[in-house]
Parts: sequence; C-alpha cells; structure tokens
Amino acid sequence: MPIIVIACSVFQSLLQQAFPPAVVKGFHFLDYGLHRVSSNLTRTIQETIDAIPEPSLVVLGYGLCGNGLNGIQAGKHNLLIPRADDCIAILLGSYEKYQEEFHSEPGTYYLTKGWLESGSNPLSEFLEYQKKYGTRKAEFLIDSLYHNYHRLAFVAHDRADLDQYRPQAQEVARFCARWGMRYEEILGSTAYLARLVDLALASGHSDDGFLRIPPGGTLRQELFLRY
Amino acid sequence: MNTELFPKMAQSIIDGDADAAVALANQAVAAGMDPLEAITQGFVVGVNTVGEAFARGDAFLPELVMAGEAMKAAVTALEPEMARRGTQRQMLGKVVLATVEGDIHEIGKSLVGTMLSASGFEVYDLGVDVPAAKIIAKAKEVDANIVGLSALLTTTMVKQKEVITEMDKLGMRKKTKVMVGGAPVTRDWVQKIEADGYSEDAIGAVAIARQLVGAAKMI
Repeated sequence: MPIIVIACSVFQSLLQQAFPPAVVKGFHFLDYGLHRVSSNLTRTIQETIDAIPEPSLVVLGYGLCGNGLNGIQAGKHNLLIPRADDCIAILLGSYEKYQEEFHSEPGTYYLTKGWLESGSNPLSEFLEYQKKYGTRKAEFLIDSLYHNYHRLAFVAHDRADLDQYRPQAQEVARFCARWGMRYEEILGSTAYLARLVDLALASGHSDDGFLRIPPGGTLRQELFLRY
Repeated sequence: MNTELFPKMAQSIIDGDADAAVALANQAVAAGMDPLEAITQGFVVGVNTVGEAFARGDAFLPELVMAGEAMKAAVTALEPEMARRGTQRQMLGKVVLATVEGDIHEIGKSLVGTMLSASGFEVYDLGVDVPAAKIIAKAKEVDANIVGLSALLTTTMVKQKEVITEMDKLGMRKKTKVMVGGAPVTRDWVQKIEADGYSEDAIGAVAIARQLVGAAKMI
C-alpha cells in the first residue's frame, strides 16, 4: 500500500530524512499556524486525505492538537498517528516524558520552532495586539493571557533546531520575564517519530503510543485520552 | 423606556470598551432602569455576539478578554443599584468554580464566573490549578448547588473526571451538580464522565446553570 505523509511543518525535515527515499508516494507538510483554529486544522487535513486518489497508508504527523484531529475520517485509507496530545509529546520523544515535564511545572509555556515560525508565542501576540489595540490594551491583554505561567520551555528534537532558533526563543524569553517566567531549553528526542516511521514501514510493532484507524473509521478524541 | 440604551450597551461589550460600558450602566441607573434589564437586554447581548463570533473563528481571545472585562465593569457599576433593589433579585444558587489541577488557563472560567454573577448566582471562583480536594472542600463549606470545572487541555481534562468520581464517592452528587467546560471538552466526554451539564460558551453555561438549579423559567 502506498504511503502518504501528512504532517505539521514542524516535523518536515525530520520526516523527510527518516523515510527512505522513494518509499513515500507523497509528503504534505501543512502550515504551522493551522492549530490556532482547530476547525481549520480539521478541515485542511480532511481535505488533504480526501484528495488522495488510491487507497493508502496515511501517516499523520500530528497529535490530537486541541481536538484538531478529532473527527478525522479515514475514508478508503488506513490512518496511522501518534497517540499524543500535541507536538510537545512528539518532540520530547514520548508520552511519558511529556507527563514528567507537565507535572514538574504545570505553568509551562512550550515553545517550538513551529510556534516561533507561525507567530504563536507571547511576544508576537503582544506585537500583533499592540498594532491593533495600542500599547496599554495590548499589555493588559497579554498579561491576562500569560500571568499564570512560570516557565518558558523551548523544545526541539535536535540540537541543530535549538541552536538555530535560540536567538528567537531568547527574545521571547526576555519578554516573558515580565511575568517572572524562567527560560529553559529541553532537548527532546527523535524517538517518537522514529517509531512512527518504523510502524509505517511495517518494521515495528504497534504499541499504545500510536493509533491505527482502518478504512471507514474515524479518529475520535477518546482514543487519545489516557485516564 | 430607554430601550435605545440597549444596543449601545451591547456595542460597548462588543467593542470591549469598559469605560463606555460603565458610562452606559450609570446612565441606565440614573434613568431608573432596572439593572437586571440592563444586563439581560443590553450587555449580555454583546457578550453573546462576541461569543458567537469566537465560536465561528471570527473573533479571537483578545476580543473575548476585553468583552469579559467590559462586562465585569458594567456589572460592578450596576451592583450598588442591584443591592439597593435587593429584594427584587433572587439569588439563583451557589457555584464553586475552578480550573482543574495542572491547568492554569483562566480566561474562559473567569468569563463564565462573570456571566453567572451577572445572572444572579453567588460565585466562588477558586482560580486555576486547583486540586480536586480543595474544590470539594469548598463545595461542602458553602453548600454549593453547582461545581463548575474548566479544563483547556486534553491532558488536564481527565481531572474533571477525578473530581466527579470523588464527589460520587462522597455522595455529593444529588445536592451538588457538576458542569464542565473548556475548549477540548466534547459531548462524548461529558457523557463518559457523567457530568450533569456542559456548555461550549459562557452564555450557554448560564442557561445550563439555571437548568441545574431548576430556575430555567425564571428571568
């Protein structure tokens, strides 16, 4: 069965390198910013899936992403997706690692290169609000949104990304110091995506870190939850 | 009388203009308008409009935050007059409100709190990242009619279930109803955890809260 990859741009370089050339029939890397409105993410992914002509194994480089993946229909395809809440678990390497980070500091704002690229971070939001509403209102807004956070954690799965995006991340960190947020870098791991690739190539064993949806099936929020 | 104030009130909320909202609230009081009427027919209409636009993706968090602030300012300005007319205003019930443990999001929860207060509920807002035990203790202490649980992450949504399970064990569910909310909460989830009520937005939350205390038909 042909393999088609549909993934967030945050995983582009990694997935392109991880799949042996010529194995994947098509890569679709979707815009970083789609997660901002989850219905846009759902629609775009569904349209991309529906446009694939022949029955395929569709590998989704996403998590549940704020319910953006809730309701995605497999149609005539098989779907394979990490059973992750969002890209943070995938970048950190596992669900367990995410839980560990999550519980160590609930008030963490996770920064990724995707969020830097798409302008989804406190600094770029402030600048956007400033343009739209003026400084006083923008400050009020940004404080309302972020005053509960204590840590800014820049997460990447490899050192090269950390190095490349560090100046931007630190600029955000300087801004976030207004709420006393401390800055940390977390070097994640490629392990989660490597397992995804192995599974897609049928060389790995399925485990509860992934979901497989057969033709006619639907991705539902419940499948992602662990409780 | 003074019905021309209503659309202006709604607009002040839509614009997120707290100063204008307060000025209109004072104008309404000076003109002898019932503060409750100002809220339900004026300001709330604005919150509704912003809420609907937000749900469609035509408005974003800033608009929601500013609308909430303007609403809060309007209600605060109307409070002395409401107190003065005290007897006419029936307290609908007590609500303990919290964002669940591990979750620090507060915008939606606070907006729901503002709307519930504006609608005649006594609201105890415990803030964010609140452990189940603390929520339950407060609900017992004030003899709450409703516990409202907000969660904005799929990772923390499971804590809503934890609170409900604990309340079940303590036999509190008959007296104290549970309503849940937050962007990731779906109808399926609500059924699964057997919550009593759920709404996608602050206006809906008020309607559900009224239903839960059996006040659906009151103003």
